[in-house]
Amino acid sequence: MDLKTLCEMNGASGDEREVRKALLEAAKPLCSHVKIDRMGNVIAYKKGKGNGKRHVLFSAHMDEIGFIIINATEDGLLQFKPIGGVDPRVAVSKYVVVGEKKVKGVIGALAIHLQSADDRKRVLGYDNLFIDIGAKDKDEALRECPPGSFVYYDNDYQEFGMGSVVAKALDDRIGCYNLLRILEGEYEADITCAFVVQEEVGLRGATGAAFASDADTVIVLEGTTAGDMGDVDPVRRVCEPGLGVCVSFMDNASIANRELYKELMDLAQEKGIAHQVKRGATGGNDAGAYQRGKEGKRTCVLSVPCRYIHGPSSVVKLSDIEAQYELAKAYAEQA
Amino acid sequence: MKTEEFLRQVTALPGVTGNERKAAEFIAEAFRPYVDEVEITPLNCVIAHKKGNGPKVLICAHLDEIGMMVSKIEKDGCLRLQSVGGVDPRVLPGMRVRVFAREGELMGVVGATPPHLLKDADRKNNYTFETLFVDMGMPAEEVEKRVSVGDTVCFEARYVELKNGRVATKTADDRACVAIMLRTAELMQKMQHSADLYFVSTCQEEIGSYGALVSGFSIAPDYGVAFDVTHADTPGAPKNSTHKIDSLVAAKGPFIHPYLEKKLEEAAHENGVSLQTAIDPRATYTDADELSLSRAGVPTVLLSLPLKYMHTNVETFDMHALTEGARMLAHYLAAVDESWEDELWI
Amino acid sequence: MLFDTLKTMLAAFGPTGQEGKVAEEVKALLQDKVDGMKMDVMGNLIVEKKGRENGKTIMFSAHMDHIGLVVTDIEETGYLRVTNVGGISLEMTKTRHVVFGNGVEGVVVCQPTKGETAGLQHLFVDIGAEDKADALSKVNLGDVCVYAPDCFRLGEHRVASPAMDDRCACALLAELLMQIENPVNTVVGVFSTQEEVGLRGANTAAYQVAPDLGVALDVTAWGDTPETKLPAVKLGAGAAIKFMDRSHIATPVVRDGLIAAAEKANVPYQREVLPFGGTDGAAIQHSRGGVPAGTLSIPCRYVHSACEVIDMRDMESALAILKEFVNAKF
Repeated sequence: MDLKTLCEMNGASGDEREVRKALLEAAKPLCSHVKIDRMGNVIAYKKGKGNGKRHVLFSAHMDEIGFIIINATEDGLLQFKPIGGVDPRVAVSKYVVVGEKKVKGVIGALAIHLQSADDRKRVLGYDNLFIDIGAKDKDEALRECPPGSFVYYDNDYQEFGMGSVVAKALDDRIGCYNLLRILEGEYEADITCAFVVQEEVGLRGATGAAFASDADTVIVLEGTTAGDMGDVDPVRRVCEPGLGVCVSFMDNASIANRELYKELMDLAQEKGIAHQVKRGATGGNDAGAYQRGKEGKRTCVLSVPCRYIHGPSSVVKLSDIEAQYELAKAYAEQA
Repeated sequence: MKTEEFLRQVTALPGVTGNERKAAEFIAEAFRPYVDEVEITPLNCVIAHKKGNGPKVLICAHLDEIGMMVSKIEKDGCLRLQSVGGVDPRVLPGMRVRVFAREGELMGVVGATPPHLLKDADRKNNYTFETLFVDMGMPAEEVEKRVSVGDTVCFEARYVELKNGRVATKTADDRACVAIMLRTAELMQKMQHSADLYFVSTCQEEIGSYGALVSGFSIAPDYGVAFDVTHADTPGAPKNSTHKIDSLVAAKGPFIHPYLEKKLEEAAHENGVSLQTAIDPRATYTDADELSLSRAGVPTVLLSLPLKYMHTNVETFDMHALTEGARMLAHYLAAVDESWEDELWI
Repeated sequence: MLFDTLKTMLAAFGPTGQEGKVAEEVKALLQDKVDGMKMDVMGNLIVEKKGRENGKTIMFSAHMDHIGLVVTDIEETGYLRVTNVGGISLEMTKTRHVVFGNGVEGVVVCQPTKGETAGLQHLFVDIGAEDKADALSKVNLGDVCVYAPDCFRLGEHRVASPAMDDRCACALLAELLMQIENPVNTVVGVFSTQEEVGLRGANTAAYQVAPDLGVALDVTAWGDTPETKLPAVKLGAGAAIKFMDRSHIATPVVRDGLIAAAEKANVPYQREVLPFGGTDGAAIQHSRGGVPAGTLSIPCRYVHSACEVIDMRDMESALAILKEFVNAKF
């Protein structure tokens, strides 16, 4: 399945149905056993050709950030809240689709002419933002988009510039895309590819997957914040698109297993795979959940640097997507 | 036991988080006539098992209450307190509190420096645990003999029947929901059910839903129904954050299983019970959050009883919402059978 | 001797996530003196001393890790940019002497902040490097430094040192395991990892050990220096039996068991109600189906600084309490 198709599907945390179905179908022919677990994760298992001593789990999350409808005003504007970490300063004036019927709408706010000098300085929060679907009144708005409907940025996937991609949901459909490619290979070790839900609201899918898995090693494929644009000080940039897959020594959710971190760095070196060390310890991802499930597992994170992450138009480099795949696959092959 | 009588007695009992034994013992006895087995776990969860051959369903409401602990005894014999769970210190001045000391229960009065002695600037600040103290009405050396650092302290308990079936009491959060479970268990005595039902009165919800987490682990249910209180309409509350007091609320959002939630709405509709909905875009801050993550995951729904003045000694709810909620829950649970999982992920 | 064991523990390099050298020291001390030792995937060292028939299994946890600073980037000029591993305070870190695992030493400095509120992003570590390449020949991104060892006596009973949190408890647990013979209850000593970033090691250790009861051994705060009021805990007044902190409320059976042990041993003890903080006790209590658990604390002043101060009399009191506790009937 191509990355375009994956990114253009909608699946905020708790509303992963469409993505889950597609991943389940795509994984089926590539592995020995695939199932949906009680969290809603898709767990694809591929028996290795070896003696079963090694079992490596690769994980990526299928959910993305989004919004959810909570109510409507009397004049038919929908009120909403974020699912996951969304910066409301980015949300204003964006195109959206709402709910199962994919009703088209726009996010509106008070026009600049009507703002006071103070208003212009103030951040527009969720109390000041509305989704306008053109409804006449509250009844029509809530009939079309009842409370609990999920909302998505309505943006397509495009390749642009030189080797760059812009899309919503690159975090972490890139990981899902690469997991499917990993499943195509043949390995000595047993391999599980876990497409997990609800990362954006607290690593919830991975918490269940971690409990159920007996893998010895977990490698999480993620998207991570690139801060290499504009005024950012060279020592605050965390990582830069185009320099290769990003290997993390620690973040807020986990400290990489030192041994595994070194194995991956050496492997990248040896195979000539472009890589960079993540120069920061911020953020957190599913590795935290895997590391501490039951008796604990060795974990490390391989990320694709992603500009404007959690926005309607995130930007990555195709070469970094390849590097993430190459390094993950190389690890699977030598395990 | 009649629901009103159960509530009157159970809300009067102390059960501050981490020290819930008394409340747990009473609740265990109340469930006993309606279920097959009752157990109190080492951390004071009460597990009431009503056997069935079908899917294992864990229904929970928490039995612990917010309260306080003695953190220091001052030289003059007054006690300093620390909050256990989210106590609003502004409700405390002038309250009579119950101190659970070595030899038994003592009464104290929460005092603060009188306003006459304060500077203007101080008067504008709210009371905090640093500025409040408990007056034990006895000399310092007598206090030292009787009270220890670490003794638990709870709100005074009074069960006040207001008009229109409204009740104001301590610890309606969440023993009113324990009462819903108890009434449901009683109603189900006369109904057929295939589900294997575990009614769990959980401990330690107020500091992080640890009771739900550990009982979820030991029972390993197929799915979960969590019960807690939510805010009823109150003047000055933020928009879209409160509900009508007269009926239960079902939550929707990423932490709630959408298909099982739909089934709840259907059960309410079929039985003529009104059910409101709430949207939780992230955590629900109830047992549902932890229950849904136990072991490899438990699809979970959340029902809430609207309540005014939460985390005070005058928590106010509507008895009608409680009884109708129990009726709906009984029908919902009776309908659960082997087919529950068929459409879970469609 | 308790003090010698303490000095050994304090001297080992062991920031959060790299506790291996501390574990090596513990192993060397306990070799042949216990019934079993193993390391798990999180780096926890799990040591067992078997009890008698009908005894319970009690898990004791003391964390080996020490807060530190991790290198996130290196300036062209050779200065290291760092961020915290665990609860590092900016105030207590300025112009501190630090050391890396390979012995490289450095000084932590806070740059002028040009009106911004100072934060960890304003810190750099000067290791005397000429430039980036020189710095990279000594340290790598992801390497961690800690406050340099500096243990000294303070008056007759007190000791000051970095890493007292929680190596004093490691020393206590090691001594307990060496001194007890044929205890009533099986004693599982866990020298845990990554406590300072959220009780991570104790979490997986508790799952594996699946004990009947649990006791964390950790330091607690103090209320006996000028303008410090809470908790109502003093240095030198005995080990503190915890009633609650922000992470857990001690299960009554464990808390009361510790009090009974103190009374039986006839040693001083204090009751602790802490408005903040957390210990491995929470990780044990909330594991599996719930495990009665609490914490025995060593009062410690200036916690998370480079000169954390404890009183050896409190260590002796704690050891006496634990020796009774492992032989109590539960």
